[in-house]
Amino acid sequence: MPAVSAPPPLRFPSRDFFEALREAMRAERERFSRLGFFDTTFGVRISSDDGGEPAEFALRFEVFDCVGVESLAGVETDFVVEGPFAAWREMLDTIHALGAADTAHSLNTLTHFGEQLRVRYDDPDGHDKLYRFAESIQEFFDLSARLDFAYPDGSRPPAARAERQRSAR
Amino acid sequence: MSYLSTTDFTEDQPFVDRFERMLRGDLDLSWLDAPRERVTCRPENARRGLTFRDLDVGSYGFTDMPELIRENRSFAPRGAAMPEGLPDLQAEVNRKSEVWAYNIEGYYEEAMTRQWNATTDIPWAELQSVELPEDIGKAYAQLLTFLTEVEMIATDVPAKWMGRLNADFFEVKNFIATQAMDEARHAEIFRKRALSTGWGLMRASAQNEFNLKFLRDADSFAEASLALHLQAEGMVLTLFRFSEYISPTEGDKKLFRLVMQDEARHVGYGMQHLKWVLDHFPERREAIHHHLDEAENFVFGGGYATEVLEPFIILSGKGLKKENIAEGVRITNAFQLKQADEYFERLAKCGLPERRERSRLWKMIDLRKQTMAA
Repeated sequence: MPAVSAPPPLRFPSRDFFEALREAMRAERERFSRLGFFDTTFGVRISSDDGGEPAEFALRFEVFDCVGVESLAGVETDFVVEGPFAAWREMLDTIHALGAADTAHSLNTLTHFGEQLRVRYDDPDGHDKLYRFAESIQEFFDLSARLDFAYPDGSRPPAARAERQRSAR
Repeated sequence: MSYLSTTDFTEDQPFVDRFERMLRGDLDLSWLDAPRERVTCRPENARRGLTFRDLDVGSYGFTDMPELIRENRSFAPRGAAMPEGLPDLQAEVNRKSEVWAYNIEGYYEEAMTRQWNATTDIPWAELQSVELPEDIGKAYAQLLTFLTEVEMIATDVPAKWMGRLNADFFEVKNFIATQAMDEARHAEIFRKRALSTGWGLMRASAQNEFNLKFLRDADSFAEASLALHLQAEGMVLTLFRFSEYISPTEGDKKLFRLVMQDEARHVGYGMQHLKWVLDHFPERREAIHHHLDEAENFVFGGGYATEVLEPFIILSGKGLKKENIAEGVRITNAFQLKQADEYFERLAKCGLPERRERSRLWKMIDLRKQTMAA
């Protein structure tokens, strides 16, 4: 019988990573339906440590679902969350270890004064959608705790710490 | 009893006779003959369900509603047949541009689906297992006391105006009903959290309450909305984000994310309402500036209330030691500048870019930026 090898981990940043998040969101339809209508298109921009081109994606949400993951270029967005790879990695590492962001790594905290991640926008009404849908967006990123992924250097986020895994969320 | 019927029905023999005839099966049925517009309404998006936007058809819709509502003075639902003899309920607000907002129907639907429950959606047991240090606990309880005061007025203001709007503004009335519910839930959650810190409610703020009284006592809905939805809630939205930033536990972060969602929706209505006013009733521009002059005066006074500013400094500096206070002052300063920047940015986007130049609040903020930079 041929050995079945595990699929390779997803890579962060990549379109596959965000599409896997989209699938994880679909699997949690009931939970996201309870959070309510979620209508926004926003961008994520992950700057490269070596000064190369940033990885950029547009995430499109409609009703209760993520309905599209695409390249950011040419897409009209409400806002773009951007920052260095190290800041994104720190957020994802925390989520992976704890099951959800802790007090220092919620998206609002990381972006509030633009110290680690920044929010770019043209229209304040679009910017405010980051807050109108704050819990949905946070829970979307928290789903990355379930993904098997690796960073470009091959390293992995820390394994889940069972004692701090949240179950009540 | 301030309103008495002009008829004592039990003594009105023709009325009693008619009532008895009807109960014997002698029906009038004239309402069946009223000519009505029949329409087809289907969900544009099945996943979203049947929305107010799907009902925007014919005489039932809102797009073709006139600017001045002269015909309907009663509670007749927009589009219903209005027989002779309906009472004049003396709605105070009958001009569409005084209440309407772009996408009002969307804000209502969003509000309905994004309701949450302060009793069950917060991990209260987890929160109570965390003991906060005394200085942090007391500062947090004081912040929560202030926020409870704010949210009680924020509940009263939309509730006060709801019955004063013409019944044809159905979507707006429903939206501000959701707002009153949102604000009541905010008052509930801040009170619950204040008591659950173990420190209870701290001190009410006179300076802050004068500001809140100004919101409550606005002369018109347009003024109330400008001061409440756009100015006060805009600033409170930045404050909630800041409160999430300085929250001591994950449960508190979730609490502030949930309240900020509601607040951002109210600000969205305020922005789209102001845009609508400026697009459809441009002669209001000067009145808006005059109202903002006084609203900003109260904000400047309220912003420096001891019971508000000092808890921020202690919470953001994470304590009462000298170095904590210095850090807290630095962060709180940054927060206040951000709060003002975002407020003027919203006004500019709504069509008041000249507000910065006219505003004494902006001049004070600008002066402070220069002082900090020096």
